[in-house]
Amino acid sequence: MVNVMKGVLVECDPAMKQFLLHLDETLALGRKFILQDLDDTHLFISPDIVETLQARVDDLMDQLSIPVHDKGL
Amino acid sequence: MAPPKKYKKYDNKSGNDRSGKKKKVEEEVTIDLVEDDNVDNVGVPVAAMQDAEKNDQVPEDEFGAKDYRSQMALKADNASRPLWVAPNGHIFLEAFSPVYKHAHDFLIAIAEPVCRPQHIHEYKLTAYSLYAAVSVGLQTSDIIEYLQRLSKCAVPAGIIEFIQLCTLSYGKVKLVLKHNRYLVESKHVEVLQKLLKDPVIQQCRLRRDGDDELLTSALPNKPLATTSKPGEEKPAANGTVPDDISQFYQQLDKDDEEDENTDIAVNTAVAFEVDPDKIEVIQKRCIELEHPLLAEYDFRNDAINPDINIDLKPTAILRPYQEKSLRKMFGNGRARSGVIVLPCGAGKSLVGVTAVCTVRKRALVLCNSGVSVEQWKQQFKCWSTADDSMICSTLKSFIIQTTLETEDKHNNLCQKNSEFKNTKMKFKNKKKSYFTEMKRCRNSYYYINKIMNKCGLVIEKVHISRMYTRLASLVTIGLTATLLREDDKIADLNFLIGPKLYEANWLELQANGFIARVQCAEVWCPMTPEFYREYLIQKINKKMLLYVMNPSKFRACQFLIRYHEKRGDKTIVFSDNVFALRHYAVKMKKPYIYGPTSQSERIQILQNFKFNHKVNTIFVSKVADTSFDLPEANVLIQISSHGGSRRQEAQRLGRILRAKKGALAEEYNAFFYTLVSQDTLEMAYSRKRQRFLVNQGYSYKVITELKGMDQEPDLFYGTREEQGMLLQQVLAASETECEEEREAGGVPGGGGVWRRGGALSSLAGADDALYLEHRRNNQQNKHPLFKKFRY
Amino acid sequence: MSESSKSKSSLNLNPSPTLQCKDLHEYLKSRSAQFLETLYNYPTICLAVYRELPELARHFVIRLLFVEQPVPQAVVTSWVSQTYAKEQAKSCEALSELSVWQEAPIPGGMPGWMLAQSFKKNLKVALLGGGRPWSMSSSLEPDGKARDVAFLDAYALERWECVLHYMVGSAQTEGISADAVRILLHAGLMTRDAEDGSAVITRAGFQFLLLSTAKQVWLFLQHYLHTAEKRSLSAAECLAFLYQLSFSTLGKDYSTEGMSNNMLVFLQHLREFGLVYQRKRKAGRFYPTRLALNITCVKESGPSVAPLETSPHHQGYIVVETNYRVYAYTQSNLQVALLGLFTELVYRFPNLVVGVLTRESVRQALRGGITAEQIIHYLEQHSHSQMLKSETGGIKSTSMLPPTVVDQIRLWESERNRFTYTEGVVYNQFLSQADFVVLRDYARQQGVLTWQNERSRTMVVRRAGHDDVRKFWKRYSKSS
Repeated sequence: MVNVMKGVLVECDPAMKQFLLHLDETLALGRKFILQDLDDTHLFISPDIVETLQARVDDLMDQLSIPVHDKGL
Repeated sequence: MAPPKKYKKYDNKSGNDRSGKKKKVEEEVTIDLVEDDNVDNVGVPVAAMQDAEKNDQVPEDEFGAKDYRSQMALKADNASRPLWVAPNGHIFLEAFSPVYKHAHDFLIAIAEPVCRPQHIHEYKLTAYSLYAAVSVGLQTSDIIEYLQRLSKCAVPAGIIEFIQLCTLSYGKVKLVLKHNRYLVESKHVEVLQKLLKDPVIQQCRLRRDGDDELLTSALPNKPLATTSKPGEEKPAANGTVPDDISQFYQQLDKDDEEDENTDIAVNTAVAFEVDPDKIEVIQKRCIELEHPLLAEYDFRNDAINPDINIDLKPTAILRPYQEKSLRKMFGNGRARSGVIVLPCGAGKSLVGVTAVCTVRKRALVLCNSGVSVEQWKQQFKCWSTADDSMICSTLKSFIIQTTLETEDKHNNLCQKNSEFKNTKMKFKNKKKSYFTEMKRCRNSYYYINKIMNKCGLVIEKVHISRMYTRLASLVTIGLTATLLREDDKIADLNFLIGPKLYEANWLELQANGFIARVQCAEVWCPMTPEFYREYLIQKINKKMLLYVMNPSKFRACQFLIRYHEKRGDKTIVFSDNVFALRHYAVKMKKPYIYGPTSQSERIQILQNFKFNHKVNTIFVSKVADTSFDLPEANVLIQISSHGGSRRQEAQRLGRILRAKKGALAEEYNAFFYTLVSQDTLEMAYSRKRQRFLVNQGYSYKVITELKGMDQEPDLFYGTREEQGMLLQQVLAASETECEEEREAGGVPGGGGVWRRGGALSSLAGADDALYLEHRRNNQQNKHPLFKKFRY
Repeated sequence: MSESSKSKSSLNLNPSPTLQCKDLHEYLKSRSAQFLETLYNYPTICLAVYRELPELARHFVIRLLFVEQPVPQAVVTSWVSQTYAKEQAKSCEALSELSVWQEAPIPGGMPGWMLAQSFKKNLKVALLGGGRPWSMSSSLEPDGKARDVAFLDAYALERWECVLHYMVGSAQTEGISADAVRILLHAGLMTRDAEDGSAVITRAGFQFLLLSTAKQVWLFLQHYLHTAEKRSLSAAECLAFLYQLSFSTLGKDYSTEGMSNNMLVFLQHLREFGLVYQRKRKAGRFYPTRLALNITCVKESGPSVAPLETSPHHQGYIVVETNYRVYAYTQSNLQVALLGLFTELVYRFPNLVVGVLTRESVRQALRGGITAEQIIHYLEQHSHSQMLKSETGGIKSTSMLPPTVVDQIRLWESERNRFTYTEGVVYNQFLSQADFVVLRDYARQQGVLTWQNERSRTMVVRRAGHDDVRKFWKRYSKSS
């Protein structure tokens, strides 16, 4: 017997993987989406979450990036 | 076929998204740990609240830019002129223009620099900057005329109005101390008459012999010899400089030198005397009446305060920018109040010492830490003929007890600022007594107020300065590295201490070798997965500790220290977080200094760092932000810092800015690293901190990977086990340990939370004693029951 | 543990792929065999193709040029030592792709190679002479009003910029022909506005504007050739003529005598775009410009003629500061529009634009399919002369731009690539290690394995490969 699941393989650095785990555990995207935790840099996730997830990652990056330039314009 | 009728954004929807995004980003800019107290604008004249920016209603072009093309007619010979003056008060200057020098000198007098990188500088006209301009003797018409000549385009009408509005009433009335009497002086009789109609001012007026007439007051008729060398700045005869610009420049330069020096009739002003006790009242009232008083001290005509015998040593040679800043101060033969802005390491203290030697009256230097007081004392001995007998420094507390008894001496006062709320009440009380003391010794001192730039000192700084206004019956100069505060309230200081007289350009000083050439780098340290996991779930304080204690950061720090020790460099590592400071230092077996470190131990460590070839790296907390002068250090590593404080960043850079030997030979002779944990808030803070320096033309190299770190043997925290243990330690740390060090001044023997306990006891053996002291201090805040058990 | 990272295909999260500019080889590769057959009737094309071949392939061609029968493939292989098998394979592939040679059976059943007839014939002509006299070869009286290179450069640039200006809707220059507009629409660089039917620029169009002039011209001409038939022109003939132009000398004039009517029409089109200069339509002579000479050097490797941008009259106008400020000395809408692609513009002054490179503005561009390299290249290419005097701060850099800014633009790009998503299917809960190994090895063989771990007996297969792997598994489990 073999079990088969369709989804999306995500590859990222270890810290970002922790971020995804965190989103999954806290149901931050409204539900669980990680189908299988593969290793330090790989996860297998539901295919329909990708867009929401990417938006969330963009949010994180936005928060951490302050314009280098003063907008004292 | 004709071109399409109009240009269209290729994607309207995304265009909207973009502007939405922009707004969001701007909101996030406000991230900062520093509180932004809403200090009201009392004490600032109404005209000063004018903002050219707000009068600015301009169509945006298709790209979202403000389209000023219709308001700025381009001149035919624009190529030979260096400026664009935008209708919102922003001015852009080509740094490569042949006229740059003229324009730069002029702009720095009338406008605030926004950013000064290599090619094109941006300035902004503000009410304050124009106030500063008139106070150094520039006339409204001169400002407009010269701006017109320098500009590539016609100066917008709105800007001309703005300049007139801000300058016409300012700078006309001065508060002069002369023969130990306070005079409100003006060349414009009508202005004085207007002021005298005001009932409040009438009450402040001091009438001798019931005389109601205005006094005539002779203006000084000689420029000061010590400071100026007229003509030194004469522009080189360069064919590309349009005649009208160079002529006007020379004329202005002359005005500046010989301010009102020609004709006896012009040279007289009218004045009335003011009751010394009502100085504050009249100053405040004059601001309300739109005639802020410029404080000047006619020290040449002061026969009552004795001259002191102090001169510059022949070895003290002023650099051009130091001379220029002094010239602004003594431009008309009197001493003006104001602020001089020079980067750390550029020789602010020599400016201060020279000012004292010029005035030759008693002076008071206010510092914010004991070490700083010591250093000022050294500076006086180094540059001037003053010796120990002339300098009295007060270290014990900030209440001045010695001033009156030692009237014939300089008094260095040490003032302790505690900026945290829990100490605020005490502070207020103390301030009161301090203030009464100060009042008593008013009239006898010429104050040098060294504004220390300390991050977090938002409220106090304003308070202190306000206090000074009341005191600054003579003249105050402020020496500072940055007029930068996270809340932008610095502008108020213009009316409290005085206008900004001079501000140096960092890049130029660097290019001339007056300050070190620093390579700034931001090193990205990836969070280990375990630390990042905790980071995501912990509260803010723990988050901070987690990103500071990130094993990758520790390793990067260790690697950099080794690298620079091999090169023979001297490295200071800064950490605001005490837990991290101790952990890093103990683990790497390096000495460290923080709040509780005793004065004797501090000196011992610093001496070792200076002379001992085996001690090349020290760890310090933020006590060293401002007060330590470490000319040997050429590498600085920052592992934790105070939020997004741009000022702290500039101050820390200042620790390694003092020009190094062979400064011009090497491309870089100093290194400034900030270690940031990737994907944490620290990234945002770090970027915010950099802004000021980036606008001074510094550039930060982002290092995502330290080359050779993988091969480096014996770095700590390489295994998951070690990292796991570290994580446990971090998680076990108490709330207080997560915080940044609270005490900032570090005055030995002076107030402060830790001090009271054991500063005077001689403590031996570094770590234990420190822990002991720390613990004991904590007890003071503890429940009485616990206290009992410990003793 | 990730399998072959190069076979990773990202999910389509980026709706605007980067605009590709094919070089000659890639362009021809994408054409049909018949088209190539026709093309090889022109000696100029044969020569151009020959020049662009890999070194080993050129070697093979010369060795086979005079052989009239198929040569066994094994023999060809034996010409090259085993050490260079890879280069050899690449060369053979190139020759096949371009139909320069074809497989031909040799009596006895061995596979052999034989050069395409027309290619062989016309390459000989190109190399050795003979055949019909080339057009453009007729002798001319000296031109009384000869034009120098500087004039031709200025002319070429002015003409070409008309096209670019049109694209950004600038009213600064005269319009372009309806034909040129059709090409832009056909190329997807512009599109008809849904409301008023006017032509508006597309994302691809913006990317197009950031390309070097040589690439722009070549890309534009590719689309011209695609639509050549609509103008009753032969694409092959046009291409042949273009290549002939590329062999000409800058600053020399050529006669139109002997050119077919079609080619005279084509010449007028080239004139509109600035590839050739003619004083009058019927002047009987024309001057190729740098634009024409450069179409063969769109490859990244060294251009033979200096690109037009560096010609002295075309001065840089952009100042980039270490604090991410961008100042552009320009009044041209085209240049402002280009800058606006990746810069947040703040002020417009009569002769200056003030902007700032922000994360958001750069990301906007990246989302539109513009790459960090394109942005950097553009800023660099148009750097103001003052930037030459920049202090790079001791960091040795070939760039005139502040290194921190260049780094940051790249970091913004890589920030977007921290995650890769691959659609796939996970296989787990294998009953035995052997089963797992068999299936994994099969998937790997098929090149569809993206991740596997022996200990957890888990593997991930690319979505496209799933059906195949599943069928294999069914067969395998039945048989075992």
